[in-house]
Amino acid sequence: MPHHIDCDVVVIGGGPAGMASALSAWNHGARKIFILERNDYLGGILNQCIHPGFGLQVFGEELTGPEYAARYIDQLAKTSIEVMTETTVLDLTPNKKITAVNPEGVWEFYSESVILSMGCREKTRGMIFIPGFRPAGIYTAGLAQYLVNVEGYLPGKKVVILGSGDIGLIMARRLTLEGVKVEAVVEVRPSLSGLIRNYVQCLLDFELPLLLSHTVTNIFGKERVEGVEISRVDQSWQPIPGTERLLNCDTLLLSVGLLPENEISRKAGVSLCHFSHGPFVDESFSTDLDGIYACGNVASVFDLVDYVTLVSQKAGQTAAEYRDKKPIKYQLNPGSGVGLVIPQRVRQVDNGWLFVRPDQSFRDGKVQFRTQGKVFDKKRVAVCRPSEMIRYDLKNIHWPEEGGEVIVEIIGNPIEGI
Amino acid sequence: MKKAYDVIIIGGGVVGCAIAWFLSHFDLKILLLERELDVCCGVSKANTGILHSRSYLTPGTVKGELHQRALSWFPEIEKELDFHPTVTGALTVAFNQDDLNYLKSIKKIGKYDDAEILSPQESRILEPNLSDRIVATYYDPHAAVVSPFRLTLAFAEGAALNGVKFHFDRSVGGFDQQGKKIIVHTPNENYEASYVVNATGLSSVKIAQKSGDRVPDLSAFKGEYFLLDKESQGLVKKILYPIPNSVSKGILVSPTPEGNILAGPNFESSCADDTSTTPQGLNEVKAGAQKLVPQFPFNQTIQIFAGIRPTLPERDFLIFVSKKYPGLIHLCGIESPGLTASPGIAEYVGELLVQQGLSLKNKDQIIFRKAFPVFHDCDWEKREELIAQDPDWGQIVCRCEEVTIAEVKYALRMNPPARTMDGLKRRIRVTAGRCQGSFCQMHLPSIVMNLLNIGIQDLLKSDKNSNLFVGETKKVVNAHATPH
Repeated sequence: MPHHIDCDVVVIGGGPAGMASALSAWNHGARKIFILERNDYLGGILNQCIHPGFGLQVFGEELTGPEYAARYIDQLAKTSIEVMTETTVLDLTPNKKITAVNPEGVWEFYSESVILSMGCREKTRGMIFIPGFRPAGIYTAGLAQYLVNVEGYLPGKKVVILGSGDIGLIMARRLTLEGVKVEAVVEVRPSLSGLIRNYVQCLLDFELPLLLSHTVTNIFGKERVEGVEISRVDQSWQPIPGTERLLNCDTLLLSVGLLPENEISRKAGVSLCHFSHGPFVDESFSTDLDGIYACGNVASVFDLVDYVTLVSQKAGQTAAEYRDKKPIKYQLNPGSGVGLVIPQRVRQVDNGWLFVRPDQSFRDGKVQFRTQGKVFDKKRVAVCRPSEMIRYDLKNIHWPEEGGEVIVEIIGNPIEGI
Repeated sequence: MKKAYDVIIIGGGVVGCAIAWFLSHFDLKILLLERELDVCCGVSKANTGILHSRSYLTPGTVKGELHQRALSWFPEIEKELDFHPTVTGALTVAFNQDDLNYLKSIKKIGKYDDAEILSPQESRILEPNLSDRIVATYYDPHAAVVSPFRLTLAFAEGAALNGVKFHFDRSVGGFDQQGKKIIVHTPNENYEASYVVNATGLSSVKIAQKSGDRVPDLSAFKGEYFLLDKESQGLVKKILYPIPNSVSKGILVSPTPEGNILAGPNFESSCADDTSTTPQGLNEVKAGAQKLVPQFPFNQTIQIFAGIRPTLPERDFLIFVSKKYPGLIHLCGIESPGLTASPGIAEYVGELLVQQGLSLKNKDQIIFRKAFPVFHDCDWEKREELIAQDPDWGQIVCRCEEVTIAEVKYALRMNPPARTMDGLKRRIRVTAGRCQGSFCQMHLPSIVMNLLNIGIQDLLKSDKNSNLFVGETKKVVNAHATPH
């Protein structure tokens, strides 16, 4: 027979979102709480992020990833929250039965609330259709980061990085410090994808070249990467014939985006949103299924772990209190200039945040909120970028009396270059 | 030192392994030589993975005859190798009157009572995502899909269980006659055998030429593919064949046994070792897939890849005894339907060997292969039972395909064993899922290094020079050490 457990809250995933939501549920009165984590350690991806830059919003100081994780691991130790590591959740039903396995057997949890906090995964080479051979030496940047920082393995000696997202930038610096030659960071957009501070600290300070409006169009080498062909791209990101050139390298790192990991959400039948790639959530990060919450990068990829913590605390609180929900009042959708908005549903505007991710970089812009064709609020933004979400307190938006669909859009001057 | 065998098979693709399995039923000393580090590394690893039914055989050809023969072997293969094709059935899709005539012709070839020609409406009830421009389909319920990796490995494991030896990293350089024996040269060592079978796919003609036999040159034709995420499962439930063109079966859309969707292959001139994908080739496949399934979700692609067909000008299999070495048999031009035909080819090669004087004496006892459990496919009761037997079954290393440490250990220990990351993938599907290894490769390197007791420089993706890492990062220096 499977091990049978009845409990108040089960948190799936022990990364920053899982830890913050479990602690918040504890602080708001839930008592029988389980964190199920597939690795044999808590903290998730934070453990491989040995660079500083975490915690400015939450702790007002700059921490490394492991330090940030440690703060929550220490707090967990002071509670009776049960942490089960090496435990992989394989199934979740709409009525909140969770089935997991670990070396001790099969476990069934029957929980009042379930918090989804499985994080995200990296886009791979096949997903972006880079033609060429399939040799050794092609890694997603996050995988390479783990292998270098945690395992101590060096993937190559001469590397090209595709994508100027934060992991790509951080890895350019990290590998340089290990004596690896970074040939170039190649970015398909006309502007930087990651944070400016990472551009300055990881590329400029080490004089590493960034090639905007370029992409990798071929991979050479049958057994191990021997080089990549890069090409300039046009405005629709299509390679321009005649602009090909060869970069010799033995490694290609891909930092081409993250996707929320929602296999388990899908099994439960949680509705997923096409622009966030995570569940539809409201301001307390409830999904459309009663008692199932989604927080952190499983809901939508956040730019800062601090934001992951904030929204996860919210989810944990609601999961602990588990009260009747007000009806959905506003349904939010991204309009022009906006890649995503989270939450996509708003029930009450007195508490909570709205995160808006631009789909390109703008200067002198404004964020507009529209319903039925009419703008009901606008906010100035001097500069905004896809790498940095814009955060608003819901109560600071002048919501209309009547509910309905709300379009969030950004008008501004597009930035080309850094 | 030469080692003497009754039969040496050169080439560990599906055909070589099928021959090894077939011959392992008889009292013979058999060796299989493979150039790569594993079986299923050449033509066999990248194809549509279809067991084409009788409707799709080419009458009047060697490949048609061996295809037909092979089909009667699959019940035996199920019994002895515990290998089960997934019978999906197939629809061949007609867009005009000529196409419809073709459907009638293959219905005649198939002679199945339960195969029929369906109207567009009937077809779209079976496959709602099928194009609405079709005029008819031919429904054949017998076509099946297999994993080419699993079929090749089932043959290989079945052969190994019954005494066949496998030597990897052995590239055959040539032959010599010594009395009645053939000497097979490899850079590592020389081998001696009474009979030799050349089943080397893309190298078969080159090797035949090394034995002094005259064979027309092979042409390599590439086929490119898209593989979709399991999220797309159900997009099509049956194999959708287009009407074949003059050069190939055309670009088809098919489910895989594991629940992915496959589209491909196109047909483009290439060379033997060019397995690269190209923008042109991929676009061709895209168009072909969209013709059958207009809403084909390319945004769910998890991998793109290419395979190579070893084709002769006649576009038929050429299986013959060497003029110079009476004990040497060459198999050239084994392209589609080589996977389906493999057991038929093996049986035929056995007959040729007997004609050349080999005596086949049945063994007293044959060891049947039992497929190792696949955790992902087990029900909860079975999973519990497995974990109770061995806690390694409760430790999942690949989250996408739900592969456990117990399976990794099996893949490294089975015969022939996995020695590379791709070898693991072919056996147990780690790195084959939607993350394509970005999660499981966090932990697999150290697990494999520990289990095999090898160093970081010995970790390979596939081939001999496909090292995954160049070394270790900087070490922490002991601050208290006294300088010299």
